Amino acid sequence: MSDPLEIASFVAREVGVGSATGWHGGRLTIGSATLAQAAGGPGIRSVEVRVVQPGEPVRLTGVLDAVEPAVKAADPDSTFPGALGPAGRAGAGRSHRVDGVAVLASADLSDLGDLPASVVDMDGPAAALSPWSKTKNIVLRFELDPAASWEEVDLSIRRGTLRIARDLAATTFGSEPDRVEAVTLPETNPALPAVCAIVQVASEVPGEDTFVYGEPARDVAPMLLDPREVLDGAITNGWYDTAASANPTYLYQRSALVRSLIALHGRRLRCSGVVVTLGFLNSLEEKQAAAARAAALAREAGADGAILTAHGLGNSHTDTMLTCRACESLGIRTVLILAEEGGLTDHVPEADAIVSTGNVEEFAPGWRPEDVVGPDVASPRVAAYLAAATELGHSTLRAVSA
Amino acid sequence: MKVVHYLNQFFAGFGAEEAARTEPVRIEGAVGPGRGLGLDVAVTLACGDDFFAAHEDAALARLLGWIDDERPDVLICGPAFGAGRYGYACGVLAREASRRGVPVVAGMHGENPGVIAAEGGAYIIPTPTSVTGMREVLPRMADLARRLAAGGSLGSPQEEGYLPRGLRRNVFVERSAAARAIDMVIAKLAGEPFVSEVEVAFDRVQPPPPVADLSNALLALVSEAGCVPRGNPDRLPTRRSHMWLRYPLEGVRSFSPDSYETVHGGFDRTNGLADPNRLVPLDVVRVLEEEGRIGRVHEWFYTTTGVDTPVAVAARFGQEIGAELRTSGVEAVLLTGT
Repeated sequence: MSDPLEIASFVAREVGVGSATGWHGGRLTIGSATLAQAAGGPGIRSVEVRVVQPGEPVRLTGVLDAVEPAVKAADPDSTFPGALGPAGRAGAGRSHRVDGVAVLASADLSDLGDLPASVVDMDGPAAALSPWSKTKNIVLRFELDPAASWEEVDLSIRRGTLRIARDLAATTFGSEPDRVEAVTLPETNPALPAVCAIVQVASEVPGEDTFVYGEPARDVAPMLLDPREVLDGAITNGWYDTAASANPTYLYQRSALVRSLIALHGRRLRCSGVVVTLGFLNSLEEKQAAAARAAALAREAGADGAILTAHGLGNSHTDTMLTCRACESLGIRTVLILAEEGGLTDHVPEADAIVSTGNVEEFAPGWRPEDVVGPDVASPRVAAYLAAATELGHSTLRAVSA
Repeated sequence: MKVVHYLNQFFAGFGAEEAARTEPVRIEGAVGPGRGLGLDVAVTLACGDDFFAAHEDAALARLLGWIDDERPDVLICGPAFGAGRYGYACGVLAREASRRGVPVVAGMHGENPGVIAAEGGAYIIPTPTSVTGMREVLPRMADLARRLAAGGSLGSPQEEGYLPRGLRRNVFVERSAAARAIDMVIAKLAGEPFVSEVEVAFDRVQPPPPVADLSNALLALVSEAGCVPRGNPDRLPTRRSHMWLRYPLEGVRSFSPDSYETVHGGFDRTNGLADPNRLVPLDVVRVLEEEGRIGRVHEWFYTTTGVDTPVAVAARFGQEIGAELRTSGVEAVLLTGT
């Protein structure tokens, strides 16, 4: 990689609404009307912009994605290459990010069928189930044009959300960051074990999709990425199903797994890259082929060990199990990160090391919010909370035997 | 704190095998092992092992009636050690009482059929197979019972010493899944010990021997493809189904798209709606039936939607459908998944 990735963090101590959007010494001001205009696109009737803070008695539902405000300093237009900006490569040069803030996309997709509620509680006993109860959120509530095609609407929501995230981060230009971190992966002690992440994504149809540089992952994966590309906006989310095990864009940008591997590089391990692979493949042959390719890429990257993540449950766990088996047969030792539905739906004997991200079947503790953005849901399960049991590594929820 | 204790005929002092047909009885106060619990047992319920086995519904109705009257803070069953019929009765009673909201503590050997019968409804202290373990077991059962009766919650099976109930409870932990996974992979690579957070007790069913003579066999069609009569008259859910259904096949040669559809919420239904036989292959099976290559097609087909279904619910569907098919003499099943 030519220049190293440099992440300049601007900590948002306050987020409020004002006449114009701007950054002033740790305060992010949201000019709602301008932002609402900028978030729109074909198939979108209107966008309502709302700021919600941690501890507010508010429940958000129908949350489709969460994006951290981020922008490329040298060329803002190149942010989220392929997905928002022109095709290009992420993971090098200076990026600005606003720490403690998320842009949340929300819409009523009930016309599409039986999608789960996708809840974020900003307060109450279940707040900890969603990572965005702790961030100051700019919620974009999209009202859709019922006459528009779903593909058009979906593209507009995704691009609108990424655009707002980019533009909010761009307000920090000219200000002093709270910290700057150079993300480097220098040659290091070859005696340390080489560990890669094998990140499973889902890419089926619009609405149940994940994008790598704006391309549906099914067209490009399994593939190898530099870990810095993942942190810098190469992977974006377009999956609005199975809320608890969904992986919003924010969780790739702030990937706990990738950041931990980089942090331990040269100390306890050698970080040997990120393999992006697919879940929910249709036939056993496709599943086995993708598993074999993902394992081969891990070996190509020199991995001695691999951490396998998952996307969703059930069907996709069969892809994870086959990938585990393929890796172990090449001598790559594996650990799987999996959510549970009161149990697992598939298992291979090689999967002897599993980290749990919780049982999505459990009921969440009850709460009566004072305000709900979106339709309210009665007695939601853990399954309804956005990323409550994410298998990307972020979660601190786990299931224990009882 | 109100304690009700369940015993079989032997431990209640009615006699051994000769008293195994004793009908359910209600006795004031503690009896036999109940005196060793060190708790104030309000009522002892007892039933003969054979009576319970032969008249499960009647026995349960009476025992549960008494439990409903007493509204105990905790029910204690056994210990039943390795005794299979006694353990089974303890397990079934425990399951039913727990469904009524009564906390249950039991004692029995880990391989006693009562453990499975309890379906996670009881905290079961493992015992030896023989009664010689009584003195060690009773105080441990009493300790759990006392805490449950006080409305407390118990720690993990490892901490408390009860058999895992097959339940998975959520907790928040300090470190992220990523950090724990990295520790685990480094340990695994170094050949050091590590503890998987999911102990997989996977239900692996051995395939039965092949059907000896398909041309004489009764064959059933079962599917999770969400195939139902058009209009979905019984409201089969599109996802997270809590039910399975069966529909008659008498006089049905093929699944016409005018009469059948799929309501499954987990795949693209276009092809299935155009030809429901591609979900449940009735058309082909009828041809094989005419050609004499299979004996007969079962008069019902079984259907549900298989998407987002909790594992325990799916397992129950399988057991229930399997039991019906066996009763009907079905020897072979074409199980189409989606």
